[in-house]
Amino acid sequence: MEHIVFGIGITALTGALATVAGAAEDTESNIGSQGDPNSQVQLAPQMGFLHRIFNKAVAGEPPAYGLWCCLGAGFAWAFMAMQFNAVLAIVLGSVLAVFVQGVYATTAYVGRTASLSKFGQPVYVDILKSMTTVTMAHAFIAIFATVTICYLINTALGHPFPLPLLGLIWGIALGAAGSATGNPYYGKERQYQNQKFGAGVPISASGNIVRYAEAGERNSLDNGWFTAKIGGSASGICFGLIVFLELWRTILFEQIAAGWGAIVVGVLIILVFTVIDRYIEVWARKNYGPYTEAKEASS
Amino acid sequence: MTVKVEVIEGGIPHNKIMIAGIVSTLVCLYLTYLNVLTSTEMFSFFGGLAVIAALIWGSHTIKVLCSYGIGTGVPSAGMIAFGSGVIAMLLATKFGFYAPIVAAVLAAVIGFILGYVSNNILNMKIPAMVQSLTEMAVVGALTLMGFAALITGGFTFAGLTTGHVTVMGMTLLTHEQSFLGGCLIAVAFLLGAIAIQHPFNACLGPGWQQDRMLMLTAECGFLSMIAAAIMSFALISTGSAIISLLIAIIGWVYTYKEYMVLSKRDAAAWLDAKPIPEVEGH
Repeated sequence: MEHIVFGIGITALTGALATVAGAAEDTESNIGSQGDPNSQVQLAPQMGFLHRIFNKAVAGEPPAYGLWCCLGAGFAWAFMAMQFNAVLAIVLGSVLAVFVQGVYATTAYVGRTASLSKFGQPVYVDILKSMTTVTMAHAFIAIFATVTICYLINTALGHPFPLPLLGLIWGIALGAAGSATGNPYYGKERQYQNQKFGAGVPISASGNIVRYAEAGERNSLDNGWFTAKIGGSASGICFGLIVFLELWRTILFEQIAAGWGAIVVGVLIILVFTVIDRYIEVWARKNYGPYTEAKEASS
Repeated sequence: MTVKVEVIEGGIPHNKIMIAGIVSTLVCLYLTYLNVLTSTEMFSFFGGLAVIAALIWGSHTIKVLCSYGIGTGVPSAGMIAFGSGVIAMLLATKFGFYAPIVAAVLAAVIGFILGYVSNNILNMKIPAMVQSLTEMAVVGALTLMGFAALITGGFTFAGLTTGHVTVMGMTLLTHEQSFLGGCLIAVAFLLGAIAIQHPFNACLGPGWQQDRMLMLTAECGFLSMIAAAIMSFALISTGSAIISLLIAIIGWVYTYKEYMVLSKRDAAAWLDAKPIPEVEGH
């Protein structure tokens, strides 16, 4: 019984950490215009819409976060092998991983923008300096929380995988959660506030992203500020639920039928979520769609 | 039906880069064998140089392949390079001294099969596919072997699976504290996979320049070498790890500065806190 109570405590802690990680990850990727919104930021200058939006396309979020978290975990593993204290090892590992992330961010922005010289898109040094540091700060929170989750899973719950492999798996999961949950909010709504709500991106509007802010010209900090409110917290809840439910079902039901109990509960959770998702989808369609208004608007 | 989306010519021809890449990678990998001959770990840094040579070749291969609309993003090319390379690399480590050559040959076979499957069975019909996937599998295998040599000082299976722990003055053999047991190979996998795709992914566009992209590859290579050198402190002697780290930092600072100079050369303008320039019609 004590074993289970301890496990549930660790599960709650990792769930909370994962929520923080998810929120920080989504905000970081939105400030960097990473993931699918990136294509429009990349396209805008080609359509004649020069902008001051940060554009760091290192890779899709899952591989990129796979690397940052795996790297953080690898450093932490190496420092712990050198007899460092675990907390110090994780912090140092995350700091070094964030350094790599920051360097990749700068080279991505400078390289992409330099290749767009034909369309007159300039490289903004002030954007490079102010956005990179903010993404690094958010990335540190995301990486530190994720590596800590991996450490807890490995040490407190006795997972057999070594720390770097857990970092890889949970890093990819974190990137996928942020990419799937948070990105549409930035890519479809924030970049296209000048279009009808929920209308998607018509081809004629491609590249015509919002470039001016309440005062002056919009930069990616404005986007980060905006998406942190709903996109970030939704990503946080998503990743938090993934980590929490995954560990919860393992801790409580692993003893039943030689591990099959946890698998059956996992399948049940998927079914429950399928029903909830379907209900929300139908509800949203009924209230906001289908987009019958579009014809009237264009005529 | 595929369309070549970008036609960018000029610069060093691909075959020249490929031959230079494979020769220098194999030479650097074999130079790490000096560790065995001299019973030290001082020559581990040659593994890092092998990584950089292989990455420069590989990133140019990705440029050749991804100039066609392959239907997936550029990062996927890096993933398949290392996914196919890791199999060949792990199997080849059983062959001792011959490991790098066996890895290259095995990876070429695996890459060729994958290229054949994608082109003829999945019907992707991209002219450069078979050759590119073959090359990239070799690059993936040799890069992983370079990382292994840099972090552990060798590329044999025994060296990658055993480490030492000191408990109360006694040195014990352990499998957990090793390149494979600690799963540092996962870190090496992603370090390489992101470093190989990033240069083309970051430099693609109408203003693509070969020298700028290859300089960025060298920069990514040295950056990955810094990361791997820091991790190597856990597995090889401190002095040897410091040599690797110093070489990596010097190389990284130089290539990063050069890359910024080249980007400044190619950029439309290099502005600090200036508004969006006026464009006619918008």
